[in-house]
Amino acid sequence: MRPVRIWFRKVGTARYISHLDLNRCMARAIHRAKIPLWYTQGFNPRAFLTFALPLSLGVAGERESVDIKLDDEGTMTDEEIIARLNEALPDDIPVFAVTEPVMKPGKIAYASYELTLDPEGRDAEETAGRIAALLQSETLVVPKHTKSGFVDFDIRPYLDHVRVFTDNGQVRISAILPAGSTMNVNPTLMLDAVKAELGLDLYAQIRRTDLYDENLKNFA
Amino acid sequence: MVNQKIERLLAQVQKPGRYVGGELNAVMKDPREVDVRFAFCFPDTYEVGMSHLGMKILYSLLNEKAYIWCERVFAPWVDMEQQMRDHGVELFALESGDSLRQFDILGFTLQYELSYSNILNMLELAGIPLRSADRPGLEHLVVAGGPCACNPEPLADFVDLFFLGEGEEVDLEVVDLYRTCKKEGRSKREFLFAAAQIPGVYVPSLYTVTYNDDQTIAAVTPEEGVPAKVTKRLMLDMDRSYFPDKFVVPYIEIVHDRTVAEVFRGCIRGCRFCQAGFIYRPVREKSVEVVNQQCFDLCSNTGYNEISLSSLSTSDYTALHPLLDRLMEWTKEDKTSVSLPSLRVDGFTDELTSKIKTVRKSGLTFAPEAGTQRLRDVINKNVKEDELMKTVNMAFSGGWSTIKLYFMIGLPTETLEDVAGIAELGQKVVNAYYANPDKPKGRGVSVTVSASSFVPKPFTPFQWEPQDTIETLRQKQKHLVRSVTSRKVTCNYHDADTSFMEAVFARGDRRLCAVLEKAHALGCKFDGWNDYFSLSKWREAFAACGVEPEFYANRRRSFDEVLPWDHLDYGIRKEFLIEECQRAYADTTTPNCRESCSACGAACFKGGICHEAR
Repeated sequence: MRPVRIWFRKVGTARYISHLDLNRCMARAIHRAKIPLWYTQGFNPRAFLTFALPLSLGVAGERESVDIKLDDEGTMTDEEIIARLNEALPDDIPVFAVTEPVMKPGKIAYASYELTLDPEGRDAEETAGRIAALLQSETLVVPKHTKSGFVDFDIRPYLDHVRVFTDNGQVRISAILPAGSTMNVNPTLMLDAVKAELGLDLYAQIRRTDLYDENLKNFA
Repeated sequence: MVNQKIERLLAQVQKPGRYVGGELNAVMKDPREVDVRFAFCFPDTYEVGMSHLGMKILYSLLNEKAYIWCERVFAPWVDMEQQMRDHGVELFALESGDSLRQFDILGFTLQYELSYSNILNMLELAGIPLRSADRPGLEHLVVAGGPCACNPEPLADFVDLFFLGEGEEVDLEVVDLYRTCKKEGRSKREFLFAAAQIPGVYVPSLYTVTYNDDQTIAAVTPEEGVPAKVTKRLMLDMDRSYFPDKFVVPYIEIVHDRTVAEVFRGCIRGCRFCQAGFIYRPVREKSVEVVNQQCFDLCSNTGYNEISLSSLSTSDYTALHPLLDRLMEWTKEDKTSVSLPSLRVDGFTDELTSKIKTVRKSGLTFAPEAGTQRLRDVINKNVKEDELMKTVNMAFSGGWSTIKLYFMIGLPTETLEDVAGIAELGQKVVNAYYANPDKPKGRGVSVTVSASSFVPKPFTPFQWEPQDTIETLRQKQKHLVRSVTSRKVTCNYHDADTSFMEAVFARGDRRLCAVLEKAHALGCKFDGWNDYFSLSKWREAFAACGVEPEFYANRRRSFDEVLPWDHLDYGIRKEFLIEECQRAYADTTTPNCRESCSACGAACFKGGICHEAR
């Protein structure tokens, strides 16, 4: 039994499937690809699939990972695993690497995001300027959905690694935000603030580009 | 595929995965390289439609042709519909994301009567005129098939052409003709007239219906040169009949999320209430090797690890045990389970349960359909009480303690004693549990009796029968609840209002088209979903059109009345149905097709069980 980390992207149509659906989709693909999976030895044999960090519905992921355990005594090459999985997965979930897991998913502390906002006819430079100014204000309180309902939450302390710029007539936001089990700031909270404070309800495409540990070292 | 316009709506709706396509095995083509774009429309949600085997077969079949691109379309859920209407997004197909208006043919599948309002709603969402007469061109041809096409009259004004029977051959013949007519610049009328010559194709606009003073039908008259009777199509050699080697594998969880293999078509039983038991005759089996190969290919191409052996009554498959043995040769290794969706009371054996180890111990379901032996004989269910007791005892000894029993109320000749018999049968099952020495230790028993309301259907021996009124059905439901004396028996029943509307449309005629259109205008949709069905809206539509629904649902027809579907031929002789109806009233059963032939007429197709040695 050896653990491997499978790296994939979740883009296009696959952005709209939930974490639970992704889990089933990946399990089916592994089964179809005849990857020699290690199963639990219980009455109802189950395979273990551990995803690093779930993605919100609608958000694309450029560097997602799932950990599985193989029962092949190291005989299947990484290239073969990649090729077989890509044959078995939908086009919008391409696998690009297989590695030995280095960090535990619990170490994840930050994630980087790229947001592309359509200014919808407004001047992109000016809109970007207003958004940049807003995200630098002293406090920025938004309602955050928690287990106990909505609470007022100041996101400003977490916005030190945020850059707003324009690109091809679109407003872009690059952000590194807390992510993981201890503290998580969803990038849509910035959009909520833009909507509430500036009255701009802009459609945004969001990509999560990478994950990091607490020292901003890439999740590996 | 999701384009920007659709994408913007997805953030606002539940389960956006329903609307994006892109699943494994979805077929993508270049629209410029095909001659015919076919939209396969299922008038219900993605989860329901994607579970349907017929759609999987026809989707793959059509896409095998290089000149056709068949895409899938489902009814958007109400939240998505609102978004689409608010933002001017037309109903689109999942593969290309293109509006339905860019398609040549829109093909609807008619699985249940209560989905008809969704058909109109989907056409409207696409910006396509509802009535055939308002679509003068060859584009946006609306076609339909499926079980409800056996009485297509309530949709006659909207659908240009119906497929009767099984579609594997006739669908391609029609699309091929369409391609030729499109190339040659033929008119819609020229196309429809030519299509009407293809066996199994019914073009309602080429038939005129006249009525008597008492509102019954006087005659259905075909135009000159159009067949007076349209006969259903069917595949006689099931081993050679097209079956896909891959299914589209949904991202999101659907109702039946597994490999489905068809083991045979038709049913030997001839239960008198069951339309499927008549319209799919004769029984035609696939061979073990073919089913096994199809299961293997499907599992390999989808990744599913569950196989469902589908048919109207899988325990009647003559080679069930050899098939299970053959499947077990590879499924065990592959960690794939095999399940049987429909088990008859007399089909549940120790041998079977030992082979299908994966049958979940959560519960077993059987359908005695009626509470007393007399009524089971009336409906020709041919299940005896001692068989049921034997079966449940076997189940209890095997570790099961939850049994679900399905019944119908409102069956012809039913009395309150028969209704009470349902509760009594439930109680007898409870008693059998406690009398069984091998029952699971330390566990109580749970028996659910579930009662739906009988809906008389075309092409059955009960096609002339009145349905009980809603009031009578409710009284019987109350009587059933009162008759239950034990807390071990849970009793539930199906809403009578929807059954009433189902009965109206099942045996309706063309005058219901106006009602349907009105009901759609009043906002009726998803009538099969209790949250959305509104009898009061439907009553308003009937009143506005001057049509009495009771005329269709609650009236006894005479055997010599012209029925709206009399010009359609499903191979079953009307005289046979009359005999069967009379035998029902005489509490007399009819042997199943395997025991002896009852000369229903299906032998005219020159194949299947009718021509096998018994």
